[in-house]
Amino acid sequence: MADPTAQSLLADLARLAGVLGPAVRPVDTDRLLATITRSARQLFGARACSIALLTEDDSELVYTTASGEGEDDVTGMRLPSGTGIAGWVVMSGQPVAISDLESDARFARDVAEGTGYVPRAMLAVPVNDGDRVLGVMTLLDRDDGRPGAEQDMALLAVFADQTALTLRTERALGDLGRTLLATLARAAGDGTDLAAAADRAGDEVPPVSADLLELAGLFADLQRMGEAEHRLALRVVREVTAYAARRRPRAGR
Amino acid sequence: MRVPDVGVTREWAFAGATGRGVDVAVVDSGIDAAHPAVGEVAGGAALRWDRERQEIESVEGPHEDLFGHGTACAGIIRKAAPECRLLSVRVLGERLSGKGLVFAEGIRWAVRSGARVVNLSMSTGNEDLHSLLHDVADEAYFAGTVLVCAVNNVRAASYPSQYASVISVAANDATGPFDIDCNPHPPVEFGAPGIDLEVAWLGGGTIVATGNSFAAPHVAGLVARLLSKHPDLVPAEVKSVLRAVSRNALPVSAG
Repeated sequence: MADPTAQSLLADLARLAGVLGPAVRPVDTDRLLATITRSARQLFGARACSIALLTEDDSELVYTTASGEGEDDVTGMRLPSGTGIAGWVVMSGQPVAISDLESDARFARDVAEGTGYVPRAMLAVPVNDGDRVLGVMTLLDRDDGRPGAEQDMALLAVFADQTALTLRTERALGDLGRTLLATLARAAGDGTDLAAAADRAGDEVPPVSADLLELAGLFADLQRMGEAEHRLALRVVREVTAYAARRRPRAGR
Repeated sequence: MRVPDVGVTREWAFAGATGRGVDVAVVDSGIDAAHPAVGEVAGGAALRWDRERQEIESVEGPHEDLFGHGTACAGIIRKAAPECRLLSVRVLGERLSGKGLVFAEGIRWAVRSGARVVNLSMSTGNEDLHSLLHDVADEAYFAGTVLVCAVNNVRAASYPSQYASVISVAANDATGPFDIDCNPHPPVEFGAPGIDLEVAWLGGGTIVATGNSFAAPHVAGLVARLLSKHPDLVPAEVKSVLRAVSRNALPVSAG
């Protein structure tokens, strides 16, 4: 094991990891999304909460995360994207709340297909990354003591924003991983050694990526903390988002 | 808020009116013409994005409601304006691709087919579509067509609901047929019933729904009713009348 070439390679890789920082730290998106759905379900006293995301060609909605009633059956479920309330929310970009579902057998059957759970009521809001719709977040059967659906839709939209932020972070890290691979391939191809590649990559990190990297690192730290910290972070992110929205020209009121 | 006492009352605006002779287009997921709450659908078109040809395909004539939402909106309009002529312009389909372009073309189709009122319970935040939709909204305005747009609850750019020429609507907690409110802090200009409403849905049934997208058709129906009684009003005047008959608009002369 005392192969000097291998040792040098390991040292170079360690340097690359140092340059890339949080990009090579594991950010468990699935776990973050699970935390978001679980927190939302608890806050609203709901029977179930799920996130469904559009596939790359936007032909299907894939239920990636679910918490509560029928969670095992819902997770992994795929439906054509033009289906039911979730489909309408994704297509129109408008949130909607529906109750008295049991009065419409056809609708209830659509919703309950494959889940075995027939809800009385649901809230559904789009998950938006800027002007792009990524999917839909759905809440089934809120606690009866909750305020009106109007207020809870606005609150659920905050969780949907958190979902979008998590997905954006994941994408940024994926892009970065590809950059890393490209750098390595280039280094191998033109005979540059990895140490030089690490130095070059360190110089080349663009400013936007650096911000996203730091954000990703913070989220990675945050996910290891408790629910109180999650709530605190949510409040801070919410404030910052509201402040940024107010500053943006043409951004609503 | 107060608005000038221009002598416009609910009586003047709506009494005895039914929406007769006014075409109202619902740009949405289609309308189920067989639903008892909807009644007759006088015409329309189904638009979709042809991915292979990279262009919009438009098929005039009857089509079904893919989601139920368009039917819900149509039922609300029918209730407010029982004798209006409903047109269904289906722009929502199975895919998101090309949605914005299809959306804009759907509004244009409605304007050019002579609709005086167009209900838009949807919007887009896509900056690339800002100028295209603005052009379409201007075309509607100068053609005398009133665009009634649901506001998105999310605080973000939303077109065409935030353009000055359209009537933007959010849900209030009222239930009466004339319970509209005027918001002194635009771009959201009006509030109308949109919380826990019993609305028509697929399969001939009803569900109870909440959302700004159900408040907009309420105003669209009232506008149809107004235009059936006062057909010469232009969109700017329609907006003034809606302000004057809002629940929170007190005549100046009242003190």
